This record gives sequence, C-alpha cells and structure tokens, in this order.
Amino acid sequence: MQSCRRKSLWLALLASWLLGLLGILPLLRLAVPTGPRAGAPQGWPRWLDAELLQSFLQPGELPEDAPQLRRAPRGGSCDWGACFDTSKCRSGGFKVFVYPAAEPTSEMQHKILASIEGSRYHTVSPTEACLHLLTLDAPAGACSLVPPKWNGGKNHLVLRLHPASCSGTFQLGWAMVAEASPTVDTFRPGFDVALPLLPEAHPVRGGAPGQLRQHSPHPGAALLALAEERGGWRVAATDSSACPWDGHCEQDHGPEQTHPGAALPNATFCLIPGRRADALRFLQALQPSLGAALLRGYRLDQGGHCSRQEAPTAGAGCPPGDAPHAGPRPASADPVSVGHLLLLSGEGHPYRPREPAFLLQIIQDRILGASAHPSLLWNSPPGALLALPTFSTSPLDFPFYYLQQGSRPAGRFSALIWVGATGQPPLKLIQAVAGSQHCAQILVLWSNDKPPPPSWPETAVPLLVIEGHRKVSARFFPHSAISTDAILSLDAHSSLSTSEVDFAFVVWQSFPERMVGFLTWSHFWDEAQGRWGYTAERVNEFSMVLTSAAFYHRYYHTLFTHSLPKALRRLAEAAPHCVDVLMNFLVAAATKLPPIKVPSGRRHEDASPPRVPGDLGPAARDCIDRVAAGFGHMPLVSSRLRLDPVLFKDPVSVLRKKYRGLEKP
Amino acid sequence: MCLWSGCQPTVPKNKIKVFIYSLKKYVDDSGVPVSNTISREYNELLTAISDSDYYTDDITRACLFVPSIDVLNQNTLRIKETAQALAQLSRWDRGTNHLLFNMLPGGPPDYNTALDVPRDRALLAGGGFSTWTYRQGYDVSIPVYSPLSAEVDLPEKGPGPRRYFLLSSQMALHPEYREELGALQAKHGESVLVLDKCTNLSEDVLSVRKRCHEHQVFDYPQVLQEATFCVVLRGARLGQAVLSDVLRAGCVPVVIADSYILPFSEVLDWKRASVVVPEEKMADVYSILQSIPQRQIEEMQRQARWFWEAYFQSIKAIALATLQIINDRIYPYAAISYEEWNDPPTVKWGSVSNPLFLPLIPPQSQGFTAIVLTYDRVESLFRVITEVSKVPSLSKLLVVWNNQNKSPPEESLWPKIRVPLKVVRTAENKLSNRFFPYDEIETEAVLAIDDDIIMLTSDELQFGYEVWREFPDRLVGYPGRLHLWDHEMSKWKYESEWTNEVSMVLTGAAFYHKYFNYLYTYKMPGDIKNWVDAHMNCEDIAMNFLVANVTGKAVIKVTPRKKFKCPECTAIDGLSLDQTHMVERSECINKFASVFGTMPLKVVEHRADPVLYKDDFPEKLKSFPNIGSL
Repeated sequence: MQSCRRKSLWLALLASWLLGLLGILPLLRLAVPTGPRAGAPQGWPRWLDAELLQSFLQPGELPEDAPQLRRAPRGGSCDWGACFDTSKCRSGGFKVFVYPAAEPTSEMQHKILASIEGSRYHTVSPTEACLHLLTLDAPAGACSLVPPKWNGGKNHLVLRLHPASCSGTFQLGWAMVAEASPTVDTFRPGFDVALPLLPEAHPVRGGAPGQLRQHSPHPGAALLALAEERGGWRVAATDSSACPWDGHCEQDHGPEQTHPGAALPNATFCLIPGRRADALRFLQALQPSLGAALLRGYRLDQGGHCSRQEAPTAGAGCPPGDAPHAGPRPASADPVSVGHLLLLSGEGHPYRPREPAFLLQIIQDRILGASAHPSLLWNSPPGALLALPTFSTSPLDFPFYYLQQGSRPAGRFSALIWVGATGQPPLKLIQAVAGSQHCAQILVLWSNDKPPPPSWPETAVPLLVIEGHRKVSARFFPHSAISTDAILSLDAHSSLSTSEVDFAFVVWQSFPERMVGFLTWSHFWDEAQGRWGYTAERVNEFSMVLTSAAFYHRYYHTLFTHSLPKALRRLAEAAPHCVDVLMNFLVAAATKLPPIKVPSGRRHEDASPPRVPGDLGPAARDCIDRVAAGFGHMPLVSSRLRLDPVLFKDPVSVLRKKYRGLEKP
Repeated sequence: MCLWSGCQPTVPKNKIKVFIYSLKKYVDDSGVPVSNTISREYNELLTAISDSDYYTDDITRACLFVPSIDVLNQNTLRIKETAQALAQLSRWDRGTNHLLFNMLPGGPPDYNTALDVPRDRALLAGGGFSTWTYRQGYDVSIPVYSPLSAEVDLPEKGPGPRRYFLLSSQMALHPEYREELGALQAKHGESVLVLDKCTNLSEDVLSVRKRCHEHQVFDYPQVLQEATFCVVLRGARLGQAVLSDVLRAGCVPVVIADSYILPFSEVLDWKRASVVVPEEKMADVYSILQSIPQRQIEEMQRQARWFWEAYFQSIKAIALATLQIINDRIYPYAAISYEEWNDPPTVKWGSVSNPLFLPLIPPQSQGFTAIVLTYDRVESLFRVITEVSKVPSLSKLLVVWNNQNKSPPEESLWPKIRVPLKVVRTAENKLSNRFFPYDEIETEAVLAIDDDIIMLTSDELQFGYEVWREFPDRLVGYPGRLHLWDHEMSKWKYESEWTNEVSMVLTGAAFYHKYFNYLYTYKMPGDIKNWVDAHMNCEDIAMNFLVANVTGKAVIKVTPRKKFKCPECTAIDGLSLDQTHMVERSECINKFASVFGTMPLKVVEHRADPVLYKDDFPEKLKSFPNIGSL
C-alpha cells in the first residue's frame, strides 16, 4: 500500500510538471522547438530550428564505450556460435553418428535412421562425427537415458518426430532439437529445426507426386475449407458467383457441408487451427489445394528457410477491391506460395529419403555459413536439395534461375567427346563441331587402351585431350577444364553437321535447364511384365534424349557425380546404356519437364551407332526399372513435339533459310 | 511472450495506422528534465512517420502508438523517470501497441543488449539485440544509424577487387581482438589492414574522420572503399554504426559478434551481403573469406551497397522499414515478398517472377475452351464451330457475340455439336471482349479463334493444344510475326515476311492460359487496353507484349503455317495486307514498347512440330498426319 501511495504521489508531482509547451526552461538553449510553421499539415510539427538539434550519437561517444568480450553462452538460450563446435565439421566433412536405438522404434523412426545410415553423411565413429543424432520417440515411460558422449548436448541433434514425447527425460542443454510442430515458447530460431508432423504412412522416398495438376483452382472450388476435429473438413460454401468480377462479395450462401472422412475437399484455401493435433492436416492441405491458412501459434518454417511472407496465410472472405475474382483469384499470388510449400513438403528430392536429407541439409547450411544456400535456392524449384551448395552458392551458376535473376546463359558451349574402348579419333566430328560459331572449346575424353594420336586436326578453338581409362559414368565428371555453362556431350561415333549443332545450341539457350538432343527414347509401363521398359523404336513421343549428342548445363555433371547414390552409379557402370537413362532421370527429377528434341539428319540411321540399338537387350531393359526403383518414382515426362527451325522444310528458297544444313532430305 | 493482437483490420488498404504523441516536457520533482529534448534523428524519425501513409492524427483509429519521448540513446536517459513518463501516455496500457525506437541500448558495465527502460508490452525497435533479448516475431532489430551517412559525401564505388582484402577500421576494440587482428595482419601482410585511433592529430582535425596505422593516416570512411571485406566486431554493444559505413562503401561486412541479431534480419537475407563468423573462429577468418569465389564477392558488394541505400542510409529509411515489417506481421497475406525486400533494383528490373512458375503439365483430360469472337458473319462462324468441334480435346465452345444491333441466330439454327456451346452477348463492340475472363471458362486452356479461321485442321488444333500443355505459361499460335529495330528510323518495325525468327503469334487462333485473360482485362499497363479498343487493332500484339512481359518467355509457334488464308476472305492477319496496315502495326509496337518502358518480346528461331513431322516414316503411323499446309 505504501508503495502505491508513493507512486501516486509521484504521479501527481509529475503531472503538475507536465508542461505542454516548451521554451519555459532556460536550460534548453538551442534545442527548443519554436512551434509549427504556419500552414504546415497536421502531424508531427516541422520545427524551424530542427537543424540545431543535436545528434543522438555524440561524436566520439562510441569509442569511449568500454570494449569487452562476451563469449560464454548464458541462460537457456543457444545460438550457432556458442553452442555448436563447427571445427569438426569443417575439417572432417559433415559426418553424422547415429546412436543405436535402445528401444523398439516406430516405423517412421526406423526408416529415417536407416536412410541416414545409408547416406553419405553417416559415420560409425563417434569421435569422427560432427553431429550426433539421438532420437527421442519411444512410447511413454521408455525414454532413453543420457547417452554416453552427451557432453551437455553439444553437437547433438535430438530428433523428436512426435510433439512432446519424452520431453522431461533430461535437460537438452546445448543439443539442437528437430521437432515436429514445436511451439514458439521453446523453439530457438536459427538453432532448432521445425519439422512437419508426418503421418506414419509418409513415404520415405519417392511417393506419389503431388495432386496439384493445375495452376489455378477450378471455378467451382470452394474458397475455404476448415479443418475440423476428428479429421473432418468443413467447407465454407463460397462459390465463385459470390465474388463476381466487379469485386463485390456477397455473404456466403449455401449450406455448409461437413466431411466426416479425411478426404480433403476441393477448396482454394484451407484453414488449419494451430493446435498440435491438427499439424498433420497441414501436409494434407499442401497436396492438392492452392493455399493453406494457418492460425497463429503454429511454426511453419523449416529452420527459418521458408520466410514468413512465403507462407500464405489468408483470412476468410473476400477483401473488397483486392481482386477476389473467380478466374483471377488464383493466379495472382496463390500458386507462387504453393510452389514454395510443395517444395517444403519434400517434393524437392527425387531419390534420397526426404526428411533426413532435408534436415541434414539445413544443418549443413548453418555450418557452411558463407557458402550456404541463399534463400532463393530453398524457395524456388527445384529446391535446395537439388541445388548443391558445393557447386556454387550463386543462383547465376545454376540452370534454374536465369529468369528470376534477369540473366541469360552465355553464348558459348564446350564440346565433350567421349572416345570409348573401340572408338577412333573422331576427326570429322571435331571439324563439324569446331565449325560452329558458338563453340568455345573441345575436350576429348580419351578412354581407350591405345594411346591417343599425337596430332589432332587444326581447329579454330582450343582442343584438349584428357587421357585415362575411365568408367562410363566418368563422362559426366565435372572436369575443371569445362569453361562454359553449356556442354555438348558427344560420342566418337556421333555424326552431326555444323547446322545441327548451331540450331540445337540456340534452342538450348531458350531452355537452359533441360536437355536438348537429337536421338530419343521412350519409356513405357510394361503391363505384362509389371515393370518399366523403354524403347528406341521411333514413336510419336519421347521422354529421353541420348547423351551421345545432347546439350545440357554443366551443373548436371556435378549433380550426377556428387548426388547420385553409389548403387545407381554402379548400375550405370554395369550396363553402359544406363548412363543415358540415369542422366535423363536426374534432369527430369530436377525440372519435372521433358527433354527437347531437335531435328537430326538421316545420317544417324545410316551410321547406326551401337549405342542406339533398335532392340535393347534385357540388361538394358532391366536398367530403367532399377533406376526407377532407386529414385522411388518415375520422374520421366513425355513430349510430343520437336523444335524445328522456323522455316524448316518450308517450300521457300533455301537462301532464305538460316539452317540450310538441316534441309537435306 | 508477446503475441500480436489488438490491431483492427483497416480495410481496404491493409495498412496499420500510427499515432504520434505530441511533444511534452517531462521533469522530475526537482524540476530537472527526465531526458534531453529530442535528438535530431528522433525528430527526423517522427517526421518520416508523420509524412508516411501510416500516419493518423486520430488516436482512436490508431493501431500503433509512438511516444515523442526520445529513447534512441540510453546513455542520455534516466531510466526510472523515463519509464514513469512513458506510463503517463494516455493510451499506454502497459505498453500495449506502443513502439519504441532505441539504437544504443544498455550502459556500463554490463551493456544490456536491449533498452533497460522498463517497457512492459511495448514493442522495441532496437539496435544491437542479441538472441537472448530479441523477442522473435515481436521486436524489430534495426541498424544503429551512422551520422556519417548524412555528413559525408561518398560517391558510389562499383564492385570488384580492391587494394586491401580485409580491413578493420573500428577504434574501440578489446585488446584481445586487436591482438588477433594484428596476428592476421602479420601473417597475410599487405592484404590485411588494421586501423586504430590516431594519437598525434592536430586539434582542428575531427578525430572520428581519421584512422591510423602506425604513422600512416587514412580518411574515414573513404578508406572503407579500398577494402573488399571489412570487419564489424562487437564493441561494448553488439550493434555498431560502423556496419552502416561499411555497407555504404560496398565493403562486405564480416560480422564477428556472436548472438547478434542483424538489422531487419526478419526480412533481409544477410547471407547475400555479409559473412558472419563466430568469435572463436576469428583466427580462421582469412581462409574462410578466401574460399568465397570472386563473383560471389562482387554480388555481395553490390548487395551490401543496396542494403545501405534501401534500409540504412537515412533515419527515414530505417523508420519506414520498421513499420513495413510490423505491417507485414499484421497483414501477412498482404506482406511484401522476399524479392522485394532483397533484390536490388537492377535485378528487379531485369528479373521476372512468372506467376505460372510451377513445372506442371496440365492433364489432357481437362481439354480447352474455344472462344470465338464474332460480329455478323454467321455462315463463316457456323463453319468454324463445326470444324473446331471435331478437335478431340475441345470441352466447351463460347461464342462472343459482339454485335449489339443484331441478335444471334435462334438456338435451333446453330450447329449441333458434342460439347456445350454458349453465346455471350456483349454490351459494346470492343476487341478486348475476346480477352475477357468469362465465368463460363472452366478449363485452364483457352483457344482464341476468329470467326473466319476455317483453314486449320483438326490435327493442327489438337497438336496446338498438346503443345500448350507442355508450355502452359506461353502463347501458342500458328502464324508467327517478328519485331525488328529499324536503324534508319530509330524505331520498331512490324515484320510479316518469311523470316527465320519469331517473337509474336497472331491470336486469330492461339492457345493460352485463361489467367492471361484476367491480366489483359485488369492489369494491362497504361492506356493500352482503351487504345486498342479505340483503334480496333493490335489486340493480339498487346496480348503478346503482356504475356512476354509477365513470364519473360517467348511465344511458341506451331506448325509451318504462315498465314490465315481462306477462300472467302481476302484478309490476312484478320485485316488487310496493305502498307497502311503494316504501318499501323508498327505504330502499335512502338506505342506498347513505350508504355511498358521496355521491349518484352523475346525472339526465337524455333517452332514446334510433331515429333515425326516430315520424317521418312509411314504417314498412317504418325499421330498428327494432317499438318503441313502453309
């Protein structure tokens, strides 16, 4: 009471001294504002003597501050510099040690651990590891004890797939927590990692592609679906006619529907409450709908990579004047956000188990610091898992971001000619390729028992012979000698004219993320045998181009060499045809688009290179099925078109045509 | 834990309203002022808010309240009394919805990383937050403004290699840090420069504007422009004004201050403009920096300079960025994007963020909606309807009846076709009616087709649709056209001759995503839409410009067809082929290029044909045999 009385006394005193206008006290010499200028607009006054005010920072003030060190972390909070020892990760690479699970684990946990143990990150030696992984997901009462090399949790990652399981077992201390749906109260931004809550049945790799097939919602789709308790959805029945073109919205009309089942209704937005129990619905909503609206309190980001404005949150109803039209409503903002979220839901990675790869990539990014992924790479297709930071951290170096960066691929290419065991020096091919005005260099990969010939034809561009007996997959090695973004991959047997090369390269410049080739294969599902097959028989569509003559971005060499699991690369070495299949799978998984075919002269058939047999042997057939199994899904996409020069085979004078070499019958 | 509440939606602008308390003088019971009068910077800050769209002078409409009590520098404050003064504010209510700006928090000896004035629920826009004091998603981390920004004229210096690789320019450094920097200098020689206070300057020289290394004297901040990387070390406080100077000089900051929350880190991607090195890694800093490729360094230099220009250079920039961040939290669905915050203008200008960016190939089953614009050529219209209805993927046919003087024929007279046929009557005879986003369009794909285009075969149209599925964000059409730069006249010219290149397709028959109808009708830049309606020409060129501008991609010309020629009509390009027509079309291109402020059209040398087109292969085995007429 006494303090209260003192306080009120204080207040009274203060109030008595509240002098609204200044200029009374002589203490305030120059700094006294003299009142607003006449006619000035309302608001903060324009002081005539504003120039005379002193700076908040007096000259020489900061240097007088006592400098001091502060290094030890304090309190329960952690940050990257203080609670994590990155020295081991930098010197020995990013190695992960996994504590063996003491208790029987859930299936999901088992799958995740197994996938990490099979990955390039895994190590069996705890002393060599930079990160120690511990799972805390046992049924209640069976939580594990403090592990042997705990060290206060330093360099430990605690994986908790289900919220709040084993929460009170022991102090997590300096350990990072990767948790499904953490709350804002315990989450340490930049240190902990937020995971989506996964259903038990969530596929660890591959899985069905998202259900999103359209860029815009169907006009009949409801505006909003609300997640209800017990897994149902309720539709706020706003049909498109409620928001006509003029932007005026009527009240919702029509009956509200309830869906007792778990099937997601056809709606543009899904409203999901921030309750932990509803976290599962979030992934569900990302699949087919165009946007998810979250109520506050739920953490969306995966380690801070999906920033706030990229997570679409939306209120119900149609804010007038904000273009809530039936047709336009979709495309203005929603698909963009959805793309980000689809990436988050794991679409970004084709063959490695999704969750662990994601998690480890986030942590590796933090360790790498300056050489980590910029946000653009996380948030635009194909996603950070397919844009390897070891290749570059500049979006300009990848084939995916030219448009976003307002740039374009450079105007030259490097020809890479693979001379295998039976190959002869491809003198004619070298002349044809070197004749292209776009050719910057020719690299001959001499992989032959015989030594290469001492002299090579005189060419206008540098020619470099790289010797060494190599495996077939080595043709996709990212040789440091390659100086251009574009690679023209060739076999010694390939036969191309300069016109063909020129035209194909110009096409590639329009589609730098795809492969542009001449000869094609098609994949198909073999009903009778119940497996994938492919054929070189010419049909009306195709899904692969042969790398014996194809343009593509040099980044795919890095992706091929450094991201494919060893098992798949061994497959390619066992069956040489498989490298084509693998490379096509890899590019299709990254782009989700078909390759591009350009016209090829008849001489291809005449030459009939052994790499394009009309009937592929059983080993080759087996290859595509095994690659598809390795990727976990079939990424190949078919195309029914070929890109020809604008006047291709048109009945006009050949003199008018730029690519005359393609006109020969 | 503070969470957002209390801000009423201020429809329709999605903008918070900010109220500024009027200036009062607070003195304690002995008559001594609680604080100095406001500083120059705080006055600028309040002026900036007052001049902005956020400001309201109606306290009842405000969502956010800014006191006129200056707490930018805690050194000048009397903590307890300031808190009491704040509590006097008429709407204080434990600080709810109040925003305080502070750049120099804490005081000796501990130097707290947030303002020590008890502020309860008030939001703090603070310079020098650490992870321990920063309330994520609530407080805003702001820069420490450098008065040199206004005092010194420092012309921009472009990115590229500079004399020193690494520079330290701070004067108040802990001796241990200085020792480590000295070791770096000893090891790497000339490429590292560690500067300190000058000891022997004459009286009239401003010491803040000079730095010394041994007996060499350097001008500050000019010397920062001589270095590629500049160290920003923690001092007593985490937030350092030198960060602003360093960014301005286009020197990439190397931030060595564990737990420091970088300014505006909620929205700014600091990875693109800085290198953050843990304090214990200070000895390795040189090798860490050396591993960064030169091109990336130059991008970081550009980015650093852009951050300064956009968010650091004035108190106004700092104030408005702070309010924008708060606004984005309250209206997250109207928040500005990562690109808008982070991309420098040169990137924004040249870059394209395609709204239809997902790599989706729409299912064939959905089909397309054909929209036929017609005036009174009923016979020709009926033939078009009959021909188009033979295309397998047609799912609906929409006739836009553009003649207000005449009614469309009776229902019984129309051709009987297998898909729904709808007639829309328009209120005015305008060309833009063909690009209106009618509710009746249920498919994503639209085929715009004139009422005299009867020469296209079913194979050609079906193939066109399948090509569109592979390029759903582009205009897919038949005859191609080209724009050329006329060097003599110094302007653009329309070209319809046999060229090896295309940059436009005619929309007399073209497939595109229905979203572009919305863009054409509601988002066409300038007066282009009305201009087209008034001139009754060039709606197709306008559509080509629009799509190329928003997607950054070229059109796809399909099949060899060069013109729409039909027996009855003499028209080509839908209108006449005479010289005036060509002149008019050229005028359109020049007009549109000036309205768009750029030439968005992209030139390509390819067209799309069926895979087996003109190949030596049995015709009957080809999917689209009936393609090939010109």
